Amino acid sequence: MKRTIVLGAALSAVFSLPLAAQTLNVVTAGDTNMVDYINDYLGPLFEEQNPGVTVRALGTGPGDGGSQAMYEKLTAQKDNDVWDVDVGVVHQRMAGQMVSEGLLQSYRDRTATDELVNAANAENALGVDVSGYVMPMFQSQIAIAYNPALVDNPPQSYSDLVEWAEANPGQFGYNGITGGMAGVGFVFGWMYAFSDMAETLINGPFDEATPASWSPALEGLKAFNQSATITPGNAGTLDALNRGEIAMGPVWMDMFYTWVADGRLNPELQLLIPTPGMPGQPMYYVVPDKAAQAELAVKFIELATSPEVQAEGIVRRFNWLPGIDANAVKEQLTADEWAVLFTDVTPEVLAERGMSMPQAEYFSAILEAYERQVSN
Amino acid sequence: MSDPLAMPKPSAQLRAMLPGLLLIAPAILAIALLYVVPLVRSVVFAFVDADGGFTTAHLATALELYRRDVIFTVLVALASLCLIAVISIAIAGYLTLGATPWAVTVLRWLYRWPLFIPFIVAGQTARSFLARNGLLNSLLIDSGLMDPATAQSLLDWRGLVLTFAWKQVPFVTLLLAGAMASVDRSTVEAARNMGAGKLRCLIEILLPQVRGTLSVGLILSLVTIMSVLSVPMMLIAGNPTMMTSMMAHRVTYYGDYAVANALGLFSYLITVVAAFVYLRMTLAQQPENGR
Repeated sequence: MKRTIVLGAALSAVFSLPLAAQTLNVVTAGDTNMVDYINDYLGPLFEEQNPGVTVRALGTGPGDGGSQAMYEKLTAQKDNDVWDVDVGVVHQRMAGQMVSEGLLQSYRDRTATDELVNAANAENALGVDVSGYVMPMFQSQIAIAYNPALVDNPPQSYSDLVEWAEANPGQFGYNGITGGMAGVGFVFGWMYAFSDMAETLINGPFDEATPASWSPALEGLKAFNQSATITPGNAGTLDALNRGEIAMGPVWMDMFYTWVADGRLNPELQLLIPTPGMPGQPMYYVVPDKAAQAELAVKFIELATSPEVQAEGIVRRFNWLPGIDANAVKEQLTADEWAVLFTDVTPEVLAERGMSMPQAEYFSAILEAYERQVSN
Repeated sequence: MSDPLAMPKPSAQLRAMLPGLLLIAPAILAIALLYVVPLVRSVVFAFVDADGGFTTAHLATALELYRRDVIFTVLVALASLCLIAVISIAIAGYLTLGATPWAVTVLRWLYRWPLFIPFIVAGQTARSFLARNGLLNSLLIDSGLMDPATAQSLLDWRGLVLTFAWKQVPFVTLLLAGAMASVDRSTVEAARNMGAGKLRCLIEILLPQVRGTLSVGLILSLVTIMSVLSVPMMLIAGNPTMMTSMMAHRVTYYGDYAVANALGLFSYLITVVAAFVYLRMTLAQQPENGR
């Protein structure tokens, strides 16, 4: 009896092998919601359309650190014939570095959805030409959330914000530069507003002498911090807003909408983007140079960047802004669903005040200047 | 043929040692590969520049930008240890000397709970408990003990000290209560007969006899506190904060392992002192145990 069971188990294991032969390894940086997106939605959809394929999702952690981990994973196996990442999802800064170090393959023209990609950051990632190597999964934007019950007349520019914060000490909160990208983005917006060189910061070229000229802007930020509350992390800002401890603070728009939809955030809160603007960033789908299942990977990304998936997955379920041409996605959604994305921030404002993150070297230079002059 | 008496001695000795060596080889290999190599690597890389030459620039950057964080870490660790020591002695003392059986039972049942709670959960709990409009202040305000206007957030060094203490007290208490239970009761009984109060018995009779165990518990707690990343990440906004948090920041935002390693050197220095004391104490205790 026992022997029959063992034999049966061994036989069934042998016969089931060919069915599970193709495994697509999707490795994603970012918060747990990124892994959820692949595991709960995109993976099963792809498996259904491609019988015999198993999609395996792996998260490498939130923020740029997650992309850094993926970069290290790829460089560690650089000399191998085949790498164990088929599809990668990475942030802008690391995508540029991966392209310049030859870790990725150009695949965009092999997809049918190629012509739907119209974002400028699909060609250029923080100063590096990534055309052909990446396709945006979604776009996300940093904005300032405020509580209308506490702020009658919300400031519409960074200069107004400074005055408002002075008049209402402790009521503006952000997470500094060590607690997540919402705070970092707020600091970048500050530099765009007060360094008089937003264009250069975004497009380069990098000049080592430049950071010395930022002193007035950084001194201003140091003074501003005196009347601001520093919160622990992106979620910390939302928590503090929710508990009424602060009245305003920078947040990721998608996170904001998700929290409201989940009932974790006061739905009365609203969003605005002050002039001259705040940064946003996409996350990219990439295919490593020596991916084991490159063709399957391209097929997966093609599905992920189709208008149907962008509408259902990216916009409806996860509240992100679409990665491909918004008009193609709009056709798949009802007017109400589309409007939710732009309740507080209109498409016009988004187009005018949604800026890119600084060029990669300025990115680090601003953070280090902040550590040197503002937090010390 | 060589002299049969001179040669076999060392090889026979070696052969006798071989099973022992083979037995400990996996452990030594694991320690070497998983602990010593990374440790040496990180110390070395703190002093290597991009071209492979020797440099102290990383150390200088670490000191320039994160000096306050190093000092903050030391102070928070010391404050936590003091709090841990006081509470652990109080709990272990009551468990040993307490005269109300049901209270001792309840305490014995309750105090171990935090041992089973991961640091990250403790961090999250502390975050919602100690915030300005958190549970603690809400309770105080609702019970009329605090004026809402004076409520302030405890999510700074105080939050860290409280969370570390909450998490480490059970561990130290566990060691300490065990040691106190094995102390010869007759010394305590004798002191009680001579009219000493319970507190005096605890401080003057029991505590000196378990001093070694207490120090070991505190040293192990120090090493744990120095290595926790989740709690400072979740509780502390901005700077100064614990060194672990800044090491993570250096790696996350700059991909800069060199300065992170340089910062790690300070952690090593602090824990090396503790490890030295720990080793000296365990070695000093050994002859006693051997007797």
